[in-house]
Amino acid sequence: MKTSLLAISALAVMVSPIAVSHAAEELTFLRFFGGCSDQYANVTDMDQAVGECGVIQVLTNKFNAENDQDITINTQNVEWGVYYDLLSTQIASGQQPAIAVMHRSVLPNFVARDLIEPLDDIFVEAGIDTSDFLPAALESVSYDGQIWGLPWDIHALLYHVNGAIMEEAGLTDAEGNYILPTSTEELFEHARIVQERTGKRYLSIGSRNDAMTARVFNLLMWQQGSGIFNEDLSGVQIDSEEGRVALEFMKRLYDEGVALPIHDGSEATQAFINGEAAVFVSGTWQVDTMAAHSASESSPLANYQVFDFPQVVGDTRATWSDSHMWVLPAKERSPEEMAATVAFLSFLNDNSGQWARTGHLPVRQSVLESEAFAALPYRTSYAETTGIAQAVPMVQNQRPIQDIIRDGLSAVWLGDTAVDAALSDVQSQVERNFRRVR
Amino acid sequence: MSSAVSRARMVRLRDGLSALAFLAPFLVFYLLFLVYPFGLGIWISFHDWELVGSFREWIGLWNYEDMFADPQFWRAVRNTLTFAAMTVPVMVGLALLLALGLNRQTRIHGALRAIFFTSNVLSVTVVTLIWIMVLSPDRGLIAQLFRSLGLEPIAFLASTTWAMPAIVATTVWWGIGFPMILFLAGLQQIPGELYEAARLDNASPWRRFTRITLPALRRTFVLVAILQVIGQLQIFGQVLIMTGGGPSQSTRSLVQTIYETGFADWQLGYASAMSLFLFVVMFVASMAQLYIARQED
Amino acid sequence: MEKRAIRPFSGDTVTLVLMIALAAMWILPTIWVISLSLRPNMDLMRSTAGLLPIPFTLQNYIDIVSVSMTPRWLLNSAIVAIGTTVITLIVASLAGYAFARIAFPFKRTLFVFILCGLMIPEQTIIIPLHAMITDWGMHNTHAALIAPRVAMPVGVFLMTQFFRAIPLELEEAARLDNASRLTVFRRIMLPLSIPALTTLGIYTFLQAWNDFFWPLVSATNSNMYTVTVGLSSLQGNFAQTEGLGFIMASAVFASLPVVIVYVIFQKYIVRGIAMTTGK
Repeated sequence: MKTSLLAISALAVMVSPIAVSHAAEELTFLRFFGGCSDQYANVTDMDQAVGECGVIQVLTNKFNAENDQDITINTQNVEWGVYYDLLSTQIASGQQPAIAVMHRSVLPNFVARDLIEPLDDIFVEAGIDTSDFLPAALESVSYDGQIWGLPWDIHALLYHVNGAIMEEAGLTDAEGNYILPTSTEELFEHARIVQERTGKRYLSIGSRNDAMTARVFNLLMWQQGSGIFNEDLSGVQIDSEEGRVALEFMKRLYDEGVALPIHDGSEATQAFINGEAAVFVSGTWQVDTMAAHSASESSPLANYQVFDFPQVVGDTRATWSDSHMWVLPAKERSPEEMAATVAFLSFLNDNSGQWARTGHLPVRQSVLESEAFAALPYRTSYAETTGIAQAVPMVQNQRPIQDIIRDGLSAVWLGDTAVDAALSDVQSQVERNFRRVR
Repeated sequence: MSSAVSRARMVRLRDGLSALAFLAPFLVFYLLFLVYPFGLGIWISFHDWELVGSFREWIGLWNYEDMFADPQFWRAVRNTLTFAAMTVPVMVGLALLLALGLNRQTRIHGALRAIFFTSNVLSVTVVTLIWIMVLSPDRGLIAQLFRSLGLEPIAFLASTTWAMPAIVATTVWWGIGFPMILFLAGLQQIPGELYEAARLDNASPWRRFTRITLPALRRTFVLVAILQVIGQLQIFGQVLIMTGGGPSQSTRSLVQTIYETGFADWQLGYASAMSLFLFVVMFVASMAQLYIARQED
Repeated sequence: MEKRAIRPFSGDTVTLVLMIALAAMWILPTIWVISLSLRPNMDLMRSTAGLLPIPFTLQNYIDIVSVSMTPRWLLNSAIVAIGTTVITLIVASLAGYAFARIAFPFKRTLFVFILCGLMIPEQTIIIPLHAMITDWGMHNTHAALIAPRVAMPVGVFLMTQFFRAIPLELEEAARLDNASRLTVFRRIMLPLSIPALTTLGIYTFLQAWNDFFWPLVSATNSNMYTVTVGLSSLQGNFAQTEGLGFIMASAVFASLPVVIVYVIFQKYIVRGIAMTTGK
């Protein structure tokens, strides 16, 4: 009897509102982009930040240090490959983060199930000016007539080049800039020349368990004026003449030793940094990082250059793109929590120019026109990318579909699957996936 | 007379109640966290049931029809069976050899047994961390050996040929202790007199092995093999962490497919149907175990 | 000793040498990884060759204790593994006693019903279990990690077998003194079953500690990771050269508790394996 009385009074003490006077808000911030909280511990000086991880980490530090509403942002960084699995299980278990990063390509899945909040009204209240968003950026966060995210960047595939290797191979102009190939045959000719004159590989590209395979396939389809879906998105056209050309092109890269089939994404990155390959096929997200590597005196990645993706098949200018945005997972929020969340969103929007430093394409007109942006290095050499960037259409299940493409196509160079077999296999699997779309 | 009957009834009632009291705590857990989920799994498998959001629609047997027509599912089944077919014989054979070689009660034999068993207590994440490093083509232990022999290192986990054997090797390294102990227990039950008699007949060691040891171990042998089959059919952590099912799906296992269908593609209904397929396979294997054990007795 | 020597293939020197060579091969990866964990990360970026930790540093372990989440994950694992073990021992021994010693209607049916649970592997109920715990709003709690493991019937099976083997006379004397079932259970049966409980306890502890699939999908908040899941979340950084020593140190550090438990209770583990498989 006594013990239960004690227990009840202890419980009463525990639930009584003692600590409510202090209105500190802690928000979970779920993202990929890498973990570098140790490296940038307490750094709030934006000039010290390098690469995606550095910029977002220092921005977070800065907000934590400088906001006057006692808001703390707790970053949970998750590896890119398992990010959406974790976000999904967190949502399923009612443990939604306050703010999460999301790709345009997966947005439809989340919107269709009411998993994230529409932001139109919130933007109006917070004074976030949507008319300052570039048209492509606004489109990337819009679905079903509403806005679902704060646009953060548009990212696209670029041609990263080791200028020193190209110069040695004699493939540069008078200023030492690489003269890009303009056709399939020219590309393979360049590869042969680089191999002969420098002994280096022409291309470094993630080829195993890497989303790059699907990105490049999309890109090659678009360069032929086609795409993996037909015009009205009612059918899949992977098993087509354009698909065959695209996959034959990729297969030839590996057959002729232009690229290494076994490289995964990070091995390909490392190989380019180590000066083992002349060209690195990767995205805007690598520009700042590669420039930093190249700046060091002894780096084998010398005279780094970066270009719009060249015309390698077909005759339509195109490169692959996607975009990052910040979303608010749907959940109960107190007015205080909502205010804190919006405060952080506004801060991110005010500083989205910093993000463009990583190499990404900006999302705001005012950033694009700013002097700071104009002063960023390399920008003129991939100025066309904004105009030629294409994104996968906003249909559901893009993630499993892109995974099917990755696994199905890479069987051609990792295993001994024939091109036609791989195409029809991928075609039927994507069609199967379509059956389940609602 | 009647008082004796009612007393017996009282005792029975009291026993029944105390049995209930003793059983209740476990039964609560068992019913709530094993029996109910199992039934729920069957229920979910008849639905298009999503991980997130609230979409749940009765679709009857459609998930099962879809499953049997799904090449990805069959590929996973094939990979899983291949994995088991490669792992089980190596595991059983090597465990038997180790048990034979280490069946002495000296300090050094004890230490050796401990070495083979220790890796068994490590978690799958630790084991795979170790083996990803050992197998790494740039910095791995095996790559160092290859280079010192003047050979080009193989990127085991990146190769459709080598990834599966590499996962088999990892699994054998991890799990050998368990069947080894079972064989040792089996060996120790063989009466020494049998060998004594054989020696008097001047039987060679090989003869003693094939005529006495092997027949006496038959039951252990079957037990180990079936436990291994059941265990290896459930392979998950090693592939998820070491290859992610790649390269190009060549190592994707059934349990991994269940995991990805449920938690990456959100299709809990479909994943439940696959789980039940796995259950049936396991059930058949367990029944085979019981059947063979009966035959032996 | 003499008798053992006549068993084939276990006595001669050739076999022993072979076994030692094989064991050396077996333990080599472990030694190498421990050695990597004791070398500076910068040094490992140049080379991972060599089996000795030269140059030597404890920095990776200091980092684990001071900045990483690993201690927190270890605490979660300890709570889950110890919680599972204690609750399993209580409910399994109670139920085992009932099956072994009390006559009640439908006993055989109930026992078979519980044995059927042995045929349901964890992997096959994870999906519905996840849906169920979602409906209950219980993910990211220690309880959600503990309860499904307690439901596994192997402990009941073991304890039933064990109690059946205890001579009836021991408790009959007490029963004549009108002691209640619970008193008999506590005063007589439990003290006798310490070896069996230890075996079951160790087995349960190791299984719970090393569980992967269920905590992977239920504990999604990094504060709630068990060390097994936490380590797999470090994998993302693994491909990069930096921090290799740190990751290896985390693996070693995370394994210490189970290896210590193993070394102390080795005898019981070996016996447990024989018991759980009906030997």
